Amino acid sequence: MTQDRTEMSEDDDDNSQSPPLDLRSAAIADHCSSSSSSTPNKSRNCMALNSQTFPDHVLENVLENVLQFLDSRCDRNAASLVCKSWWRVEALTRSEVFIGNCYALSPTRLTQRFKRVKSLLLKGKPRFADFNLMPPDWGANFAPWVSTMAKAYPWLEKVDLKRMFVTDDDLALLADSFPGFKELILVCCEGFGTSGIAIVANKCRKLKVLDLIESEVTDDEVDWISCFPEGVTSLESLAFDCVEAPINFEALEGLVGRSPFLKKLRLNRLVSLEELHRLLLGAPQLTSLGTGSFSHDNAPQSEQEPDYAAAFRACKSVVCLSGFRDLMPEYLPSILPVCSNLTSLNFSYANISPDMFKPIIHNCHRLQVFWALDSICDEGLQAVAATCKELRELRIFPFDPREESEGPVSELGLQAISEGCRNLESILYFCQRMTNAAVIAMSENCPELTVFRLCIMGRHRPDHVTGKPMDEGFGAIVKNCKKLTRLAISGLLTDQAFRYMGEHGKLIRTLSVAFAGDSDMALRHVLEGCPRLQKLEIRDSPFGDVALRCGMHRYYNMRFVWMSACPLSKGCCKDVARAMPNLVVEVIGSDDDDDNRDYVETLYMYRSLDGPRNDVPKFVTIL
Amino acid sequence: MDPRNREICPKLLDLIPQGRKWYQEEKINNTDQEKKLELRLGPPGGDEDQSTMKKINIETRNNMKQQQQQNIKKESEDKSFHCFNGNHFAPSNKTTYVPQKRTAPGPVVGWPPVRSFRKNLASTSSSKLGNESSHGDQINKSDGGEKQVEPKKEGMFVKINMDSVPIGRKVDLNAYNSYEQLSFAVDKLFRGLLAAQRDISGGEGEEKPIIGLLDGKGEFTLTYEDNEGDKMLVGDVPWQMFVSSVKRLRVIKSSEISSSLTFGCSKQEKKIRH
Repeated sequence: MTQDRTEMSEDDDDNSQSPPLDLRSAAIADHCSSSSSSTPNKSRNCMALNSQTFPDHVLENVLENVLQFLDSRCDRNAASLVCKSWWRVEALTRSEVFIGNCYALSPTRLTQRFKRVKSLLLKGKPRFADFNLMPPDWGANFAPWVSTMAKAYPWLEKVDLKRMFVTDDDLALLADSFPGFKELILVCCEGFGTSGIAIVANKCRKLKVLDLIESEVTDDEVDWISCFPEGVTSLESLAFDCVEAPINFEALEGLVGRSPFLKKLRLNRLVSLEELHRLLLGAPQLTSLGTGSFSHDNAPQSEQEPDYAAAFRACKSVVCLSGFRDLMPEYLPSILPVCSNLTSLNFSYANISPDMFKPIIHNCHRLQVFWALDSICDEGLQAVAATCKELRELRIFPFDPREESEGPVSELGLQAISEGCRNLESILYFCQRMTNAAVIAMSENCPELTVFRLCIMGRHRPDHVTGKPMDEGFGAIVKNCKKLTRLAISGLLTDQAFRYMGEHGKLIRTLSVAFAGDSDMALRHVLEGCPRLQKLEIRDSPFGDVALRCGMHRYYNMRFVWMSACPLSKGCCKDVARAMPNLVVEVIGSDDDDDNRDYVETLYMYRSLDGPRNDVPKFVTIL
Repeated sequence: MDPRNREICPKLLDLIPQGRKWYQEEKINNTDQEKKLELRLGPPGGDEDQSTMKKINIETRNNMKQQQQQNIKKESEDKSFHCFNGNHFAPSNKTTYVPQKRTAPGPVVGWPPVRSFRKNLASTSSSKLGNESSHGDQINKSDGGEKQVEPKKEGMFVKINMDSVPIGRKVDLNAYNSYEQLSFAVDKLFRGLLAAQRDISGGEGEEKPIIGLLDGKGEFTLTYEDNEGDKMLVGDVPWQMFVSSVKRLRVIKSSEISSSLTFGCSKQEKKIRH
């Protein structure tokens, strides 16, 4: 069963193998300039001269009919490199465009190459911006994109943004410019409020999907739910769990009642359990449900409590459950009727103890995706391991995210999961103590792992049993998990761990490093040894100028490199910028950085086809 | 396994002005006495592999001639972790010892890497309307408030510089409840950096605790700049008043107190005004 991509919002969502930046081929085709990348320069002599002759028209028509079936980004990029004719036809038939870094190119370049785009997936800020490592107002504005596309793609249907700054005006322009607009997905975005949402709700009459996920939405005190037009809607998915503003429940109930195609509904924490109950009675066809607060006001309305379990029993199609934002634990057993159908369960807002948890999870045999807080303890994880044999993705978040907190989960939970859930593909695990043995065990028991993110919350913490660094554990992961594409490391780590990564991590695309390593050699191992590396984010690690220079042969083939609180000098960064003209080298500092003139607080660099951006705030210097 | 980097291109050395010796060298000179007194993890002697590895890397770094002191910060944190977080690990015990706040290093921005909306779960009473997440006036804050554990209290990071140390740091004033705690934190932050600086300028590189910041008796004194731009000695006003008015901190040499606190308002006048 395919999982909704929007659920894995924090994760890397491009599953394809690392393609070259598809628009770099535009540079090659347009400017005939060869960057220092290793893209093969296929012959473009064929057809160039005879493009107007009759047989080629036929060829292009045939090609167009064939290429329109090509969905995969990777395949399309490859096809576009065959020759100029294929490049042209591919550009005409590409309807879905993915742009991994909004500053890699300008909106104009997009609209000039691809003429018939119906769907855009655009990513902005780098991930470390989520953790306050970047000052606000850095950029990633949606405005230039929406204004350019408004003129070029009036038929646009879908916009999917991640970590972009979107204003209400942008949303208004979007709603006005695209009459057939169907899907708006905003993940980790900010800059807009309920007034912008109201405009979209009101004007996009064909709207099927309105998903606001982990975004910051200002409460403009607008009743946006009431702004949906009257009559039957096309809504299939409505997710507003991140909107921290009260909603008009009657309007919502009415909306749900006239949305026969609604399959996914994610309520915010201001919807009570009784209100949820009413909604469920009216929408038994739901497949994905975000339950809101899962609690009620102090004084229940009626004397007799609604039969929540019955309401859930009626929802035979629910396979994905989340919410529980203010869970009242005594009501948790109400979800039991749907447990055996669940393929995805998100308890990551609920402080659930092992005793509360075990009776629930005991029924979830089909679970594939499970997110929770560490309050379920190792004991809870053992229960997961015992029951959820189909588990593919696990995320355990800390209930108390401080370095010195207790930490109810440990290597015991990890070990248990590795033994019980052999099909595990993706794991994110926050803990306070870990051992190499458990990590090694996971590497051996779970060969399908593609994503391994372990966060030992105390910095530089070694294996708590042996006292040794965590090198061997992570080494085993890169050695044994042959499909690994994403890795996040933590704990006490020496250069040895990086040596392992360089030697074995041949498929790694995304690497997150924090407080790790001893010397430049560590980073050098990775830059020289990981040919598929696309996204590199490093903080507070002792990698300096020498290490930075070691990667110059790679930076054009990467989406971005982030290094903050590393001993880099401005001089060296300038050298890199000078040597690589298509690389934008941003030095991001805090406000008055005059004390440390040569010190680079944050380096963020990325390839770009259109040179440095023109919306640079004053705390950013482009070298 | 020789990680030495002999093949550095000669140009690099030209570009690095007066490469400073790697701070790590100084750590080798730690007396055995000090090493024995440090709380360690694992069995006795189990740390030897680590220090050997560190030594190899020290020599490598020497060759590379790192010029930035930033790693010194990492090393001093490193050391403090070994010293103080050892208390965390009582394997197989349910009752883990939780170190007091003053012994734990100050919180770091963005660590652990948990998004702000996930950070408030530890609050016990979560009312429907009492959400501390985004409110109307926070449109442009991409951080959504740096939320520490206590709900409704945002992290308050102010810059702190120390005379003769080129690298500035930041402290979260909300992590402390008293001047004493702050003073202790300053010592933790700068002790290593200061020792490195001394080493470079030819003095003793040995780490000495930075004490007497508040009473004028130590070699250094803690001062701050308030929201009116005035420079003041730390410690005179009640803690909360200090936290609400401080904009920046500076650790100055005690011998230079009178010349540092210039421009108008003397401490005396400030006292009268408040």
